[in-house]
Amino acid sequence: MNIRYFGLEMGRQIRNVRNLAFTFAIPVVMLLIFGGAYGGEFDKTTGLPWIVVTTVQMAGYGAMMAALSQAFTIVNERSVGWNRQLRITPLSGTGYLVTKVAAALAVGLLSMLLTGAVAIIGLHAQLSVQGWVMAGLGLWVGIIPFALIAILIGQFAKPEFAQPLFMVTFLGLSILGGLWVPLQILPSWVGNVAQVVPSYWLNRLGQMGASLSGNALTPALVLAGWTIVLAVLITWRYRRDAARA
Amino acid sequence: MNDSPAIRLTGLTKRFPQLTAVDDISLTIQPGEVVALLGPNGAGKSTTIDLALGLALPTSGGAELFGEEPRQAIVSGRVGAMLQGGALLPTTTVRESVALIHALHRHPLSVDEAMARAGVTDIAKQKIASLSGGQMQRARFAVAVVSNPDLLILDEPTAAMDVSARHSFWESMREFTGLGKTVVFATHYLDEADTFADRIVIMAAGRIVADGTPSEIKAVVSGRTLSFTLDAGRVTDGAEDATLRALPGVTHFDRRGPRFAVQTEDSDATLRALLAAHPGASDIEIVSRNMDDAFMALTGSDHITTEESALEGAGK
Repeated sequence: MNIRYFGLEMGRQIRNVRNLAFTFAIPVVMLLIFGGAYGGEFDKTTGLPWIVVTTVQMAGYGAMMAALSQAFTIVNERSVGWNRQLRITPLSGTGYLVTKVAAALAVGLLSMLLTGAVAIIGLHAQLSVQGWVMAGLGLWVGIIPFALIAILIGQFAKPEFAQPLFMVTFLGLSILGGLWVPLQILPSWVGNVAQVVPSYWLNRLGQMGASLSGNALTPALVLAGWTIVLAVLITWRYRRDAARA
Repeated sequence: MNDSPAIRLTGLTKRFPQLTAVDDISLTIQPGEVVALLGPNGAGKSTTIDLALGLALPTSGGAELFGEEPRQAIVSGRVGAMLQGGALLPTTTVRESVALIHALHRHPLSVDEAMARAGVTDIAKQKIASLSGGQMQRARFAVAVVSNPDLLILDEPTAAMDVSARHSFWESMREFTGLGKTVVFATHYLDEADTFADRIVIMAAGRIVADGTPSEIKAVVSGRTLSFTLDAGRVTDGAEDATLRALPGVTHFDRRGPRFAVQTEDSDATLRALLAAHPGASDIEIVSRNMDDAFMALTGSDHITTEESALEGAGK
């Protein structure tokens, strides 16, 4: 990956504040609404303060949305023809995709840091430094499949379909992963489906990190599975695009 | 490697299910040449450019730039291009756009130098979305030259420009070619090809139909059509036709009943001679042949045999 290009690309995306405001503001607003409501209560399953559980949940939610929204930058670049311009440079197709994954991870990280900062500074959420770091790391690894989903949407969607496709993916993953409504109150099959959905494990990884407990093997396998399948699809699509052009 | 041609296309063909966009094109362009690729829409110019740059895969045949695979020449920064449908990001500024591409190249010009060459220094901080058509093309030109290429490929670079913007665009191009660089540009303006190129290649229906210096090409595509009606009663077929064919300047002759149409290189002389021979000629019209006519003629229809032989002479 070309670091200078990545830096400029990130600068460009971050300066484009309008696009990011939505991604960054929603988890913070939701955190302020829900986080204030819990007071000092503890979650029985993880043994963590509710405020920490909610912070991790919202940070994961924001990071996932940030990663997925990379789809829009790709769709825009394709529709404008910026990609064609890039093909007259040493940047390879793989280099382009890797830069976009890195951008998704970077924007996701920014969103998480912002949510975490609001929780710690604004809502006085208490957790060990190690707990915060591990929670952040868990979430960050957890959004890799979302970065890849974003690229796939970016490769497939025409500009007019990007928004609905994004919404369907985003809502579906949020609900199935139990990010909005606790899985316990949904039909039991949803709980079973959730086990194979990356958004479920995104949240679980964050909680495991925060509580510094739990077995990371299952989430690692599920996320690796998603990563491999998505990478294969992306490669296939990329080759087909190149051949047809 | 230094004496490899800037572009060498051999038997290049691109077939789509419904049409053959590029049909067996072979073309060699030497370093330092300024070549216009002239042709109507749908002639295959853009597809040829995509194939030459390796952006599309040919059905058969091949393309080399400076004796290398196109991709290698691009990676080493020897090729810059302004492509059809290859635009800049609307939310970035001119400087950011140039800087993004600058960051990807290995031995680029400085961002400032590229902007100066394209004459966009004064609009460096403007957003791409706010640029006029002419400014936009200049910004794209800055992006195309930032790699300091030896070969520039421009697909209809002046399409969205008014006359003065077009003029100043070609001024900055002149500075570029003054450095001994190779330029290939697609256009459908004959005057642009004529004033700027050393060599004009005309494409129609996916083929090269003419290739020569501007003066050779102009001789073929310029000229006028003189039409007139002779009194039907007086016309006898063979003898009459022969005298009309022999009028000065006539290159082609066509007749429908009493109505005649002759292609002429010197309409004044033809008309004087016609009126001397046939004072009764009526409904006289003289029209310039436009590019469309010329393209139609050059696509290899049975018309205009004289022109075709002229073209073969120019085809070196």
